[in-house]
Amino acid sequence: MSAPRPQDPNARAGWVDWLERRINLSEIFSFLTHFGFVITPVDTSRPVREVMRELAETPVPKYASGPRVLGLLTAILFALEAVTGVLLAYYYKPTPEAAFESTRTIVRDLPAGWFLHQMHAWGAWLLAAVVVIRLLRLFWDGLYRAPRELLWWTAVAMVWLVLQLDFTGRLLTWDAHSYWATVRGMEVVFALPIAGPILAFLLGGRVVNDDVLIRFYALHVMVLPTLYAACVYFTFATLRRVGLSPTPEGRPEATTTFRSHLYTMLMLTVGLFGVLVTLATVVPFRFLSAADPYVTPGGVRPPWYMLAPYAVFQWLPVPHWISGLVLLALAFGVLLLPLFLRGDGSPASRRRIRLAGVVVLAVWIAMSAAGALLERR
Amino acid sequence: MPAPEERAAPAAGEPASRRTFLTWLSRAFLGLWGLGAAGVIGAYLRAPEHHERVAARLVSAGLLDDFKIGEGRLVRHGVSPFYVVRLDAERVVALSAVCTHVRCILDFDRERRVIVCPCHDGRFDLAGNVLSGPPPRPLPTYTVSVRAGEVYVHL
Amino acid sequence: MTTTRRPSALWRPGAGRGGAVASGLVPPPALTALALALLLLPALAALALAQPGNPTPAVSGSAPKSPASGRCGVCHPAERVQFEKSQHAEEDVRCTSCHGGDDRSLEVAIAHGAGFKGRPARKDIPALCASCHSSESRMRAYNLPVDQFALYQTSGHGRRLARGDTRVAVCSDCHGAHDILPPKDPASRTFIPNIPKTCGACHGDSALMGPRGRPDVLRQYLGSVHARELYDRSNLRAPTCVSCHGVHGAAPPTIGDVDKVCGQCHTAERRYFMAGAHHPATNGKRGPECASCHEAHTVEAAQPDRLASSCGQCHAKDPKTLALGRRIWTDYRSAADEVEKAAALTAQAEAVPLQTDDYRARIEEARTYLREALPAAHAVEEDVVAAFTTRARSVGHEVQSEIYGKLGHLRQRKFVLILFWFYLLLTLFVLKRYRDQGARKA
Repeated sequence: MSAPRPQDPNARAGWVDWLERRINLSEIFSFLTHFGFVITPVDTSRPVREVMRELAETPVPKYASGPRVLGLLTAILFALEAVTGVLLAYYYKPTPEAAFESTRTIVRDLPAGWFLHQMHAWGAWLLAAVVVIRLLRLFWDGLYRAPRELLWWTAVAMVWLVLQLDFTGRLLTWDAHSYWATVRGMEVVFALPIAGPILAFLLGGRVVNDDVLIRFYALHVMVLPTLYAACVYFTFATLRRVGLSPTPEGRPEATTTFRSHLYTMLMLTVGLFGVLVTLATVVPFRFLSAADPYVTPGGVRPPWYMLAPYAVFQWLPVPHWISGLVLLALAFGVLLLPLFLRGDGSPASRRRIRLAGVVVLAVWIAMSAAGALLERR
Repeated sequence: MPAPEERAAPAAGEPASRRTFLTWLSRAFLGLWGLGAAGVIGAYLRAPEHHERVAARLVSAGLLDDFKIGEGRLVRHGVSPFYVVRLDAERVVALSAVCTHVRCILDFDRERRVIVCPCHDGRFDLAGNVLSGPPPRPLPTYTVSVRAGEVYVHL
Repeated sequence: MTTTRRPSALWRPGAGRGGAVASGLVPPPALTALALALLLLPALAALALAQPGNPTPAVSGSAPKSPASGRCGVCHPAERVQFEKSQHAEEDVRCTSCHGGDDRSLEVAIAHGAGFKGRPARKDIPALCASCHSSESRMRAYNLPVDQFALYQTSGHGRRLARGDTRVAVCSDCHGAHDILPPKDPASRTFIPNIPKTCGACHGDSALMGPRGRPDVLRQYLGSVHARELYDRSNLRAPTCVSCHGVHGAAPPTIGDVDKVCGQCHTAERRYFMAGAHHPATNGKRGPECASCHEAHTVEAAQPDRLASSCGQCHAKDPKTLALGRRIWTDYRSAADEVEKAAALTAQAEAVPLQTDDYRARIEEARTYLREALPAAHAVEEDVVAAFTTRARSVGHEVQSEIYGKLGHLRQRKFVLILFWFYLLLTLFVLKRYRDQGARKA
């Protein structure tokens, strides 16, 4: 317990000081430093207000702008999704009989229910876009190389988790389009060798019934968000360890105070919120009819991220186990990129790697387009 | 977060009070976000008691004392309207108001205590049985419970 | 003191020699032989006595099982099979009840001997059946009517039969001769869904009906809405031939009586018809009847557009009447259009989604009014029809305007969005000010 300090004549005598005479608030506040959210260690012998002031003045590299902002955006969007998701979960019922009805009650009868639902839907779309763009930028700038491998792995994991969240969340509305899109998606999943049956076992079987729905709900609400939060922690911890990504050549590292950084984050949040509100109002997601497992509407495809494997399985005249193995190899290759894409850092090798990446991406996009446009055989 | 006003002690009265006012205004402005969010979320979370959910399976048909003995009231409930008929002091029955023939909405004949279809003169008794006319099937009946003086129908 | 029963001397448990016999389980050999001989004696006697010509019924396995058909079924197996399934077999009616003769003998001379009527002549069949079925004392226990014969004699079939035409229906043509089943039995020819086929056996046979100048009414009926109600929707209350023509007193409804026949079910139409200008009292035998516009057998479901076309059948030269008909038609049509527009709008609102249960309920009410307007049209008066169409139309209007209002509220959201953006930009500005002030302070 520190010695009693002289009263700062400019400070407001108030409840904070009252508390500080009894507990070491700085000590309690320092827990934030253990998670990498706060950059500098905290001197817990000083009163909390001084600690806060010092923290506010700490210079931090500007990572709320430029390409570095992508990471922040994913965190903010995820927080938004979590909040809207929890509110939606207050009324949603995960059984086939009640899923559509409860969703419709939320959207139609509850005040602001439509708003939360649209925010959640558009937020998911934006989150998927941002997390993929972030991965592409990490690849482009070679930020998977040592010592940042963990960063790349968590980024890949986050992309996978977000797509899984999208897939599991899609089924929960139990409307005609999402039900059959999930069925198609499950077909693609099952067609993969080795991983297919394992995933099918975990996801609840081949027929999309009430067991599958509840498993999807548990995954979507409990498992996947926890894993995602773990990835966020790993990202922050790794950044604390290896530092932020280097600035482009010739430009000095811009610094700003932590307080300004927090304000910038707040502005980003507000801006993002505005974008989502605009999307939710101007281009709302349509509300379709309830799912009927006995009636298949025409022209339903798997979700967009499964269109490429879908195209491969449908139209490539190659046995599924071969093409499936190739796809799995590709997926693992993306994950384990740092292990074999060393390069020597020279511009030539950098260009070569980038070109290879562009080619792979172009092929993937082409296959997805094929999956979206070609008729089912 | 240290607020702008602590930066410099106000020298004279007017500019200082204007600055304080602006500060207060901007804080109130930002506080509106919090209020708005709290209000919206509060309304959303509070909803069930205050909103009549028409898709509900348990429908309130009004107070028992509002039904005279022998009275049959049509309750419009979505696409499954029903009649609530008070037979005597204790017994209340509820049956569908949609004819099983061509789905016309039925009428209640109070004197004869039968339910009549205006389209082809099909008649049902108060248990739903077909008395005469073309309807092929009896009317579905619903369980009625009276709780705290209010009549509830289980659809 | 209880007296214990002594085991008989023949069966003595556990006495003397061992084995099954001694233990009392198997009787001694001598006794067995005696018993067998006694049992076989009647069989031997039967064999000895089973000579042809002996009238006593023998206990053997070759006689027919049904007591009702007696031994007739030995030579007439087809009839026996039919008869055994019939209701008469259960009520102890025998072959001899209708055909006479002796059903205990297998010899033709005796079986077809005294009192044998053989196959009854067609003109005698009604009276034959009536010999039991007109007797109240006999039929009372079954609660069957006893007026069939009397009614039959008034019917078209009966009168022709009396005049000597035997090519008309008699009892056995509709009920069968040997396989008579009660009307509630689905295999019976008089089971309601089977009635059209039963009548149609003659009235749908163009070879039979053509020379008499009758159309193929079976084909006509099967194309009607009544047949669809009966067969497709399994509604046993749907009208069949007998509903309109009568059962035993079957005859076509006379002119002037058609509306009474149709009015059995279509009470509303008849009520309006009688209250309107087509009333039979005012028009006598020249007035229109139900069948004038709706056909007699090929009755179709209510087709509102008939309102436009039917008037011209008789009033082609009368422009005022034609105009009245057209006005009723446009009145109905516009109301129906309003209701359908409201229904389409409701479906649109459903997709938003908006709460539409109340609207759908009101549209059902409006549709009920429209369905009531069609019988009202039989009074051929505008005001009567307008009473329903205006109500339907107003419900349609109300629903439409309410939904438009709600959709308009939704459009307001876009304007609120603009206000929201002002607020948002202001917030960003304020935050920026805070940030810059904090930065300047540092």
